[in-house]
Amino acid sequence: MTTEAVRLEAVRKEYRGVVALDGVSISFPRGGFTAVMGPSGSGKSTFLHCAAGLDRPTSGRVVLDGRDLDGKNETYLTKLRRDRVGFVFQAFNLLPALTVEQNVVLPLQLAGRRPDKRLVARILAHVGLDGRRKHLPGQLSGGQQQRVAIARALVTDPAVLFADEPTGALDTRTAAEVLGLLRDSVRSSGQTVIMVTHDPVAASYADDVVFLADGRIAGRLARPTAEAVAERMTHLGAWDRVAA
Amino acid sequence: MFKLALRTLRLRKGGFLATFVAVFFGALVVSACGGLMETGIRSETPVQRLAAAPIVVGGQQTLELPKEDPATLEPDDKHKLENSTLPERVRLDAALAARLRAVPGVANVVGEVSFPAQIGAASVLGHAWDSAVLTPYALTGQAPKPGEVVVDSGLGLAVGDTLPVAAHGSVGQYRISGIAEAPQAVRDPALFFAAPDAGRLSGHPGRFDTIGVFGGDVAAVTAAVGDAGVVATGGGRGAFEFPETGKGGENLIVLAAVSGGLSAMVMVFVVAGTLTLSTQQRQRELALLRAVGTTPRQLRRMVLGEALVVGLLAVGAAVALGPVLGQWLFDQLAGHHVVPDVLRFEQGWVPAVVAAGASLLAVVGASFVAGRRASRIRPTEALAEAAVERRWLTPIRLITAILCFAGGTALAIVTVAVMTGPVAASTAGPAVMLWAFGLAAISPGVTKLTATLLSWPVHALTGVNGRVALRNTRVGAVRAAGAVTPIMLAVGIATANIYLQTTQEAVSNQAYTEDLRADAVVGAAVGLDPSVPARVRALPEVASASEYVTSTVFVEKPFDSGQDDDGRSALGVSELSGNAVEVPSTLGHHVGDTLSLRLGDGTPVDVRVTAVVDQRPGFEKLVLPAGLLAPHTTLGLAPQLLVRAAPGVDSATLASRLREATAGLPVFVGDRGTLIAAHAKGNEVGAWVNYLLVGMIIAYTVISVVNTLVTATARRRREFGVQRLSGFTRGQVLRMAGVEGGLIATIAVLLGTLVAAGAIVPFCLVVTGSLLPSGPVAIYLAVLAIAVVLSLVAILVPAWAATRGRAVDATSIGE
Repeated sequence: MTTEAVRLEAVRKEYRGVVALDGVSISFPRGGFTAVMGPSGSGKSTFLHCAAGLDRPTSGRVVLDGRDLDGKNETYLTKLRRDRVGFVFQAFNLLPALTVEQNVVLPLQLAGRRPDKRLVARILAHVGLDGRRKHLPGQLSGGQQQRVAIARALVTDPAVLFADEPTGALDTRTAAEVLGLLRDSVRSSGQTVIMVTHDPVAASYADDVVFLADGRIAGRLARPTAEAVAERMTHLGAWDRVAA
Repeated sequence: MFKLALRTLRLRKGGFLATFVAVFFGALVVSACGGLMETGIRSETPVQRLAAAPIVVGGQQTLELPKEDPATLEPDDKHKLENSTLPERVRLDAALAARLRAVPGVANVVGEVSFPAQIGAASVLGHAWDSAVLTPYALTGQAPKPGEVVVDSGLGLAVGDTLPVAAHGSVGQYRISGIAEAPQAVRDPALFFAAPDAGRLSGHPGRFDTIGVFGGDVAAVTAAVGDAGVVATGGGRGAFEFPETGKGGENLIVLAAVSGGLSAMVMVFVVAGTLTLSTQQRQRELALLRAVGTTPRQLRRMVLGEALVVGLLAVGAAVALGPVLGQWLFDQLAGHHVVPDVLRFEQGWVPAVVAAGASLLAVVGASFVAGRRASRIRPTEALAEAAVERRWLTPIRLITAILCFAGGTALAIVTVAVMTGPVAASTAGPAVMLWAFGLAAISPGVTKLTATLLSWPVHALTGVNGRVALRNTRVGAVRAAGAVTPIMLAVGIATANIYLQTTQEAVSNQAYTEDLRADAVVGAAVGLDPSVPARVRALPEVASASEYVTSTVFVEKPFDSGQDDDGRSALGVSELSGNAVEVPSTLGHHVGDTLSLRLGDGTPVDVRVTAVVDQRPGFEKLVLPAGLLAPHTTLGLAPQLLVRAAPGVDSATLASRLREATAGLPVFVGDRGTLIAAHAKGNEVGAWVNYLLVGMIIAYTVISVVNTLVTATARRRREFGVQRLSGFTRGQVLRMAGVEGGLIATIAVLLGTLVAAGAIVPFCLVVTGSLLPSGPVAIYLAVLAIAVVLSLVAILVPAWAATRGRAVDATSIGE
């Protein structure tokens, strides 16, 4: 068991001639809450896809939970995602046909494992939704849906929880609740969380911020405050020449 | 995975409605065809007139012919035989009846004859009075003495009247001595004569059509009959009363197999389309599943599970209703004399099982196609906003298309290079399917290409609406192809089948007319009296007159490799006599050769070749003396006399002179036109079958097109909303949808015409030498019109519904 949750080595990703990631090398330690920040088009989402095994880099290596993803087939990657990774997306996280409870245990059922009822109850209580077990996603608010998504992401006790703009569609109060949940799981259970965001306030909940600009790492900031993050953002990449 | 499939179904019932409808109608047609096939296989004919006799003996109508040349076989080799059905009635000797009376336990033996008779215009069957017990008929009045007749109660005649009855070539006056009534329905009204009269009028005294046996043990009777005939009891007796059901049953089997098979294949296409559409609808859900950890295989299984559940429900409903459609189809076919109406329609559980199995197999096959597409959805698509279409060209599609086009081309080459005559039609059916399959496999690409080719006319005719419509069709080629493919199939199959039929008819009629040397015809339903040819030839207005007898013969020696179980067409004419035969050059015989034949009733005869003739390809026949052929037909007499006018005599004069010469005889006199019209009528039966088949396929594809377009258009609510927000009015959006509908129809019609051409052009080149088929253009135009109207309605109605409400609501993220 290594101390790194995820490591990228010289990862490069090109789409039809456009370079989304240009030789990114970085590692993320276990038990940390890291925010990946950058303006639109910086390659944040591509970064997350490659790190999580959702997409294959054009060149370079990704090591996730101590496993090298290079050359592995789709089924291997899928099973790795299912058992060792959790996802929270900005929207459309839940299957509308399943209840809250069924959505949460989905990764376990896909693996053919019987869900531990007490574990599920504990997780639902942790996100504050144990009264809404049998409801369908259509009956929940946006914030509640995100909390169910977090519960599902945590149910397999993953090595890494990837969040892609989890608060992008939420109002400030609900966003604060969701971010608080994420930080809580890092503090209390040692969960590793990597969150992609463009919101400096969200980034301030993290222990560490990595800045991306034009497909490259453009800096790091430890123990971020919202103002410091916002200030750094205005000097990223080509903006640096403009702002100065 | 299965539970997930079930839950998805419960939630998205509407999305699966299209698949349900498609499977339901397809399985319904397949199930009905299964019933028709069972009916044909059983060939159950309820016995009517012979109902009272528990055991019936009839002639052996089956002929065994060798399938391989016996000369090429080793002594130890098994001789493979095939069974042919003799087309003429095989009769039984009176001596057999005597033998059966001697069998212990037999109470009564009654021989029976039936011969065609006419009272005025009414057609009836004549019998000997002693065979009335076979039904049994109840008599009011007296049994007939010679010169008297007992009539069927259904004829509405009275005792004591004198009746002119035409039978065996002449008319006789008979006094009605009694009325007979049957306890059950009998198809043909009966006339009963005294035994000597019946024997004379039947044309074959001393021989029976069937023999009814009362009392006695079946085994003992069968042993006594031996090789002289066939014994039947119970339901099997109907086949003796109505021998035409043997062939009719076979025709039904072929018809049902072709229709059912075609429907099943079309169903695979259509269901693959609806399943793919429903997968596209749920692209984001499926991408989410992939992201969260569903392997591609699990996703395929889910799609399969959903398809099976929907399929099972639809198939269950369809096989329950299958017999209803089957009965209706059978009634239509029997009403148009395509199949004998005395057959009993039977649809048991076997066709239900077969139809269910075939339909479910089609559903499984279709779900493989949809499942592969689904499993290739990348998880990152869960996060993408725009629903961009994936690359549609997979290796399987490409290989399928190449193989199908290669096959279609090969068939075309074979047809043009090798085939002559009407047999060229046999490659047309498979050719249509191959071209259609091939085009359907690459339909998105072809749709895109055709849309691009049409862009100049569309730009010229419509404005900005047309531009957007074109763009939508080219970018959304997979979705557009989902509507184009069924219409293309329907247009292609319908056009090919109908024009093949009309061309075949035209060729057959033209061949007949060109070969027809006669100027007039003298014919009789009850046969021509043997004195008629002499009477006609005696007229100065007549240059020549020849009897015209048609039948089938079977060549036994030397081995005829080109002969199938239908034997060889035979024609009896007056110009030949004795045991001469004229053969077509394609048989490879020489003048002076001897052929051993079996005539239509199985009688063996040796004939000598007196001439080898180049006959029209596809219409070859063996020409025999009428005097040899006619006595061995069911009728026993020549039914027609073809007359050639002497030079300078016009047809009206000829006709009136012929009528004078045959006055008092039950004949009709017709001219060339009558003959040609009668020939054309005979082709109509086959045409009707074709139209039924085509009608069913079209009905099914109409349903699936509506299905697909309605679902696809409803899905585009958001897209239409975006269009309206960018400045299009609702009317403009609808006009754009209309142009799309028109585009889809045009592309489908063009492709469908190509498909049909792939089958029709080789055929026409062979039989008529021209590229185009013969037949009314109106049919093609009607097919086009239906395609256009269908596409427009199926796209405009849902578009109208999808553009209701505010554009902003339609574009909101919350789906």
